[in-house]
Amino acid sequence: MSTTKAIQTKQARKRKIKNALSAYAFLSPWIIGFLLFSAYPIVYVFTMSFTNATMMNSGEFVQFDNYIKMFNDSGFWKSLWVTLVFSIFSVIITIIWAFCLAMLLNAQKRFNGFFQFVYFLPAVVPSVALAFSFQMIFAKDTGIFNYMIGSVTGSNFSPNWLYDETLVYPTVFFIMLFTYSTGQMMLIFRSGLKEVPRELYEAASLDGASAFQKFRNVTFPSISPILLFNTVMASIGALNGAFAILFPLTEGGPNGATNVLSLSLYREVFLNNRIGYGCCLAVILFLLAVVFASVQFAMSKKWVYYEN
Amino acid sequence: MRTRHAIHASSVVRVIVMLFIAMITIFPFLWIFSSSLKTNLEISQFPPTLLPKDPQWEAFGKLLTGDLFWQFLRNTLLLIIGNTVGTLISSSFVAYPLARLNFPGKNLVFSIIVATMMVPGITLITPQYMMFNNFGWLDTLLPMIVPAFFAYPYNVFLFRQFFRSVPKDLDEAAYIDGCGRVGMLFRILLPLSRPVFITIGILSAVFWWNELTQPLIYVNSDTWKPLTVALMTRFKFFDEGPNTVTWNYLMAVSALMILPPIALYLSASRYLVEGIKTSGMKG
Repeated sequence: MSTTKAIQTKQARKRKIKNALSAYAFLSPWIIGFLLFSAYPIVYVFTMSFTNATMMNSGEFVQFDNYIKMFNDSGFWKSLWVTLVFSIFSVIITIIWAFCLAMLLNAQKRFNGFFQFVYFLPAVVPSVALAFSFQMIFAKDTGIFNYMIGSVTGSNFSPNWLYDETLVYPTVFFIMLFTYSTGQMMLIFRSGLKEVPRELYEAASLDGASAFQKFRNVTFPSISPILLFNTVMASIGALNGAFAILFPLTEGGPNGATNVLSLSLYREVFLNNRIGYGCCLAVILFLLAVVFASVQFAMSKKWVYYEN
Repeated sequence: MRTRHAIHASSVVRVIVMLFIAMITIFPFLWIFSSSLKTNLEISQFPPTLLPKDPQWEAFGKLLTGDLFWQFLRNTLLLIIGNTVGTLISSSFVAYPLARLNFPGKNLVFSIIVATMMVPGITLITPQYMMFNNFGWLDTLLPMIVPAFFAYPYNVFLFRQFFRSVPKDLDEAAYIDGCGRVGMLFRILLPLSRPVFITIGILSAVFWWNELTQPLIYVNSDTWKPLTVALMTRFKFFDEGPNTVTWNYLMAVSALMILPPIALYLSASRYLVEGIKTSGMKG
């Protein structure tokens, strides 16, 4: 009896090992990719931030020199501030916009396909093309936007939207409504909203709930996991994707008003050839992403509702 | 009666609001097409015109009969094909054990994959640039194609979500029939997963059609630039020297770059929408 049992456990163990081996065989492309393109670069960035390396020269260990330089540089603090303001506001604004569009689309039965197409349209325009078209639309003297407002109000309306240190913010936030990530969030919200059980709304109506109460007590809890997902993806997108729209649109200007960290990093490494200092900025950007993600997950415990 | 009127009124307001938003979202798109048919002079004149006074097809003609546009388009297409093929093969392979097998370290591997999804790509671009420089790959498309064959975390995540939704009983049945792990993947899971392959293929194509950051950093010469980078550099000052922005060419190229994704949306919106939804799924 005991021998057969021993054989069985031996076979089971053998099967388990074989299972694990084949699992890791399937994982091997990712393991190589992770080591080469994620793990090694992360270690490299942290190490190089303590050196004065350039493209040609691997440099020497300079301890905290780069960090000291960075923390004493008012340009860095401005860039960090701009990154925070830009990320937080653009996440909030694009999420609200995407959510409202999704609500409208789900309420509208007729011509639904048409409206979804038109609302998703800006998302398929490449960000470079979008940036250039908005440069034309918001141009001070020849732009159609100022001209239209001017003709409606009958006054000479010519703010310089993209070249004024204050006005550039609302302008850029408005342009963020046209990005791919906004369109993507709209579609994700749509499918989330469709899955909210109808009975819940009916029950709420029977209880005499107002539209706002229905939103607060039915819609919001049901879509909260999707809202969390969108918030996390949008904030990573804001740290990362800001480059693709701001680089062609403002190049960080006017006077550094939109100079987010990813633009500073690009300039330091690829134009000024300061690898060590650039890696310092990368470390900050990396930590910022960690902070964003952890804050959101920590806060989400308070407001995200999971069914089980 | 009164409530019916109220409902009617609110839906009229809704339609008006929706049409207004539609005008906003469609405007940049119309502006690109309209400007692409203007002369550069008309673009820089006041007052701006909504439609071109005398539509000029010259910019399109010059672009489509010259070599440059096609060369940049070829590079964009190479990026799309390389990445899509690479990521479909590698990411589906990697996602399979995560969705269907039990093995030690599974949760750890999955957590690392989710964590790497959240690292902003630009933070790691410096070491990657140095590495590709050592490989002698700068100013080629290789730095953007080869990594695709080593599984992108985000696509692994999408494949895993889909594979988990395929009933597990099928695996057991196949195992009893003497199917190995590889056989199970190829005979059971992959044939059932056609939609997710199309979806990830489309998302990857759209991504690389729009991607600016990586080619901007890795490619310098016109030979390997994709359309996005060429738009910012070569087409911005097309034929009037380095100080005059050739807006009409910029807009003509932009117009040409909008058409394929629109065609894709119109023909495959089902897969695109489905894929984006899958990425929002919890679990």
